[in-house]
Amino acid sequence: MKISLGEIKKLVPYDISTTELVDLIGSRLVEVEEAIDLAPKYQGVYIVKVVECQPLEGTHLSLCQIDAGRDALIQVVCGAPNVYAGMLAAWISPGSTVPSTYGRDDFVLSVRPLRGYDSHGMLASASELDLGEDHDGIVELEPDSATPGTSFAEHFGLDDIILDIENKSLTHRPDCFGLIGFAREVAGILGQKFQDPELLFVSPFDIDQKAPAIKVENPELCARYSCAVVKFDQPVAAQKYLTREHIFLFKAGMRPVSPLVNLTNIIMLQTGQPLHAFDYDKILQLAGTQPEIIVRTAREGEQITLLDEKTITCDANDILITANDIPVALAGAMGCQNTAVDQNTTTILLESATFSLYHLRKTQMKHGLFSEAITRFTKGQPAGQTFPVLAETLRQLNAKVLGISDYFPAPESRVVVVSAARINQILGTNYSLDLIKTTLENVSFMVETSGEQLTVRVPYWRTDIAIEEDVVEEIGRLLGFDNIPQTFAKRDFVAAENDPLLALKTRLRHILSDQLAAHEVLTYSFVNQDLLKKVGQNPADSYQIINSISPDLQVFRQHIVPSLLDKIRENIRAGHDRFALFEFNQTSVLSAGKSSENTPVMGHHLGLVILGDYYAAKVLLARLLRELGIDFVLQKFESADFPYLEPLHSADVLVGETRLGSIGEVKPGILRQFKLAAPIAVFELDLAKLLAAPQHLPVSTVSACKFPAVERDLTVSVPDQITFEAVEQAIKDTLQSLGLVSSVLPVSIYQATLEEPRRLSFHLKFTDPTKTQSAEQISAIIKQVTNKLQTLDAQVV
Amino acid sequence: MSQLENLKSELKNINQEYAKMKDLPPGQRKDFGIKLNAKKQDILAQIAELTAAAETGPVLPIDITAPAAPGQPLPSLSRGTKHPLMTELDRVIDIYNRMGFNVMESYQLDDEFHMFESLNFPAGHPARDGYDTFRTAEGFIPPAHTSTMQHRALIKYRQDLLNGGQIAVVIPGRVFRNEDVDATHEHTFYQCEGVFVSEDANLGQMLGVLRNFFEIYYGQKLRVKTQPGYFPFTEPSLEFLIEKPAALGGSGWLEVLGCGMIHPNVLRAAGIDPAKYRGFAWGGGIDRLVMLKYGLSDVRFFESAKLDFLKEF
Repeated sequence: MKISLGEIKKLVPYDISTTELVDLIGSRLVEVEEAIDLAPKYQGVYIVKVVECQPLEGTHLSLCQIDAGRDALIQVVCGAPNVYAGMLAAWISPGSTVPSTYGRDDFVLSVRPLRGYDSHGMLASASELDLGEDHDGIVELEPDSATPGTSFAEHFGLDDIILDIENKSLTHRPDCFGLIGFAREVAGILGQKFQDPELLFVSPFDIDQKAPAIKVENPELCARYSCAVVKFDQPVAAQKYLTREHIFLFKAGMRPVSPLVNLTNIIMLQTGQPLHAFDYDKILQLAGTQPEIIVRTAREGEQITLLDEKTITCDANDILITANDIPVALAGAMGCQNTAVDQNTTTILLESATFSLYHLRKTQMKHGLFSEAITRFTKGQPAGQTFPVLAETLRQLNAKVLGISDYFPAPESRVVVVSAARINQILGTNYSLDLIKTTLENVSFMVETSGEQLTVRVPYWRTDIAIEEDVVEEIGRLLGFDNIPQTFAKRDFVAAENDPLLALKTRLRHILSDQLAAHEVLTYSFVNQDLLKKVGQNPADSYQIINSISPDLQVFRQHIVPSLLDKIRENIRAGHDRFALFEFNQTSVLSAGKSSENTPVMGHHLGLVILGDYYAAKVLLARLLRELGIDFVLQKFESADFPYLEPLHSADVLVGETRLGSIGEVKPGILRQFKLAAPIAVFELDLAKLLAAPQHLPVSTVSACKFPAVERDLTVSVPDQITFEAVEQAIKDTLQSLGLVSSVLPVSIYQATLEEPRRLSFHLKFTDPTKTQSAEQISAIIKQVTNKLQTLDAQVV
Repeated sequence: MSQLENLKSELKNINQEYAKMKDLPPGQRKDFGIKLNAKKQDILAQIAELTAAAETGPVLPIDITAPAAPGQPLPSLSRGTKHPLMTELDRVIDIYNRMGFNVMESYQLDDEFHMFESLNFPAGHPARDGYDTFRTAEGFIPPAHTSTMQHRALIKYRQDLLNGGQIAVVIPGRVFRNEDVDATHEHTFYQCEGVFVSEDANLGQMLGVLRNFFEIYYGQKLRVKTQPGYFPFTEPSLEFLIEKPAALGGSGWLEVLGCGMIHPNVLRAAGIDPAKYRGFAWGGGIDRLVMLKYGLSDVRFFESAKLDFLKEF
């Protein structure tokens, strides 16, 4: 929204600098995105009178002598077809910038020869003045409306500052979408009493005949509908002159249309109340001599043709204005073509109404209709103003009013009672009752006090004020939140808790990144169904996103790993090799059901992928869980929810009876779809289960043993069906059963050919806590280990 | 004479000095002995150093900028990375946690009630449109703000309040807005919400607490200011700005979060009597803090999983 400070100043005299005012508005009303100074843009533009005008033979040009209020006439060559001697025009003097190029390519005019004649600057078209697109001719001012030589900017009020306002933070303030409402706030901020214009309170228009009748299907659609029939002596002619009204509209970002529409737009910009004019004769032709204005919702599929000649199909949310049930407007949005005002119109029906903002929001979105009017309607314009604004418009139209009607079934007035103490408690201030009262009265609240109590009568345009907190906000805001003393919250001295899952993630993040050289990434929670299909997951088990504007965001992901697989190739192409990626995030599947509060049960997962085989992933998993002090086992892979893992190269990760997740190599067929080469190994763990897993504290086994340790290497030939773990455990168990303090470390795993058994080598270290071991004793120990291994079919070599 | 020979001759002299001790009065002998011993130890140390150097040869200079000595294997430079957003989130949470706020994580799928109704958004209210929410076929909402957790936080810690304590919670989480992605817009981003309720909470406290957070976060005193805002779930509602800290170049203002006094309807919905208790709440984006911190210009890198990007942190 664009607000002219020049117009504000007419309503609220102030004498602080623009910068100070903009700062105050920013901190106490609404964010000002930009303050645009128009004056430099129109510097060097003057109003001039064309004194002589001679066509240059053989060209479309005219040689003009203009009066710019200087000692001598000035010569300008003009190409406009509408230039004539005697006209009042706008002249861009040499040395100044063409306004339409200001701040862009800054085209500066000079004295230039044209067809042998010096042309000093130029007579400007609307387009060159950046006042619309019209460049067919130069702008013309009403004869004698200004003295030649007058500054164009001064005459038209373009020596002005325009504030570009962030609409979004005013959605609850329909009153601020009019200059009067905005100015009232400025007065309040400056601590001045605002003088409300009388037009806001005008008494019912004095007219005998009430016409036409108004019927509203449901008062929730339309809290108030006021209208009048107005007759002009002759059709209202189009304006050929540039007027201050036009400039007023341009400064607000609007375009002049016709005198009638310009007037209704100007009144809207002042009050926030949109108006609409219908051709009343056309209504009579459509609906007969007794038209009743009926406000109703559209019937499903009902088609109407709007002013812009587009035919739209309505639904039951759209509100229609009808004449005896024949649609004549899409309420709040646009009139229908069947009743459009044109150059022959002499009688109009002028509408001033308010509609359900909820319906209008949907209408706006559904039909893609955006206008200054609907922007205001969707803030919920107050019912109190429709009639006064209509009356003011009629007064300014100065035409014959044939009839006037007002549908307003439920006028309301609101009163909020609040104590000064309550206001001060919520804000943390110590404002006096008097200060509070004056502050509210400055912005037109009627306040009565009784003791500490304030009875605040809310003016009809403050649709946002209903409870005491709303009044608290007014006080805090108008007196400046930034003036409130900043203190600290008081809290009991008890330890705050971290979210255990978040704390676990932080811990894992450090281990994975700092110790295991893996890279943490983030990927989207919503993925394309194709990603799920690629890895064999069923998209039907995912929550489906139904309104995404991006075609790639279709379903909530079930696992993290598929998203990570999708990110490997581009990193390989970027030159990285042998890396691991991991991510912590939430996942979900429909089949996991709902929580006790009936929201989806979310999974908290850790996903990891590594360019490497099963064992590359396993070493990361083992070190990660060892760091946490969690004892886990790897079991035969049986997980249906990991359809992308190669079962013979995968395992389930268990702690006790709980399956944390699975680890394994991705099926080569699936990798091919990601354009990846095998092997790539992954694991995905449920962090909630990991959190619940018992963690053991390290148990110290270092003894103050003074006897020397014995070290031996042992190589064992192991048939396929015997696992590494079984062999390792057998050695450990034997040493432990002999009462030795021992450690067993794998050294190598070797297999010459697939037909031969594997050879596992271990480094054994053991100490007898009671004595130094003799050679015989050591041989006996190794013999025991060898015997134990033989029971497993494993041969010591 | 070499330095070593000098020292040796000096040592000889000192040894001879000891003979003088017996001539001194008994009261002075101890002091004399201590001084002489110290001198002797010093000379012995110097002799030892010179002798050792003579045995091993002189110490040769090394290239302190090389990654390894000539002939030695180069150390592995591979290292892992932590996502800068997560690192920052951890830091934010850590500060609030130390200030005394409990921590809860936000949900990535939630319902209409938590996202809107419990936050005083009337059904069909235009303010709902402002959030560009995604929706699922099953009627759920990937939340567009971490405020979706306010109601849960109030309920979870309500008993503390009723027992005479306070509710103090921060809620980090991933949130979603249905919009096109470009250098400055992401449909997926991170926020951190805060909620405080007590018998005497007020707006001045809120401003003080938030300022304190940012002063700790940026490690300097900061001026702060506000702009009026509009959120259905707070009244009054404010935008909170801090002066640009020195670390970020230090001129102008940064809009860092939205905040306000919790609307009485929000307290009421959680079974907390607004006549007895008051609270304040706030929420702000994490992505932007990270972008400002590192001078990043494209938000899309965060969810790109590009190692070239991540390895910069």
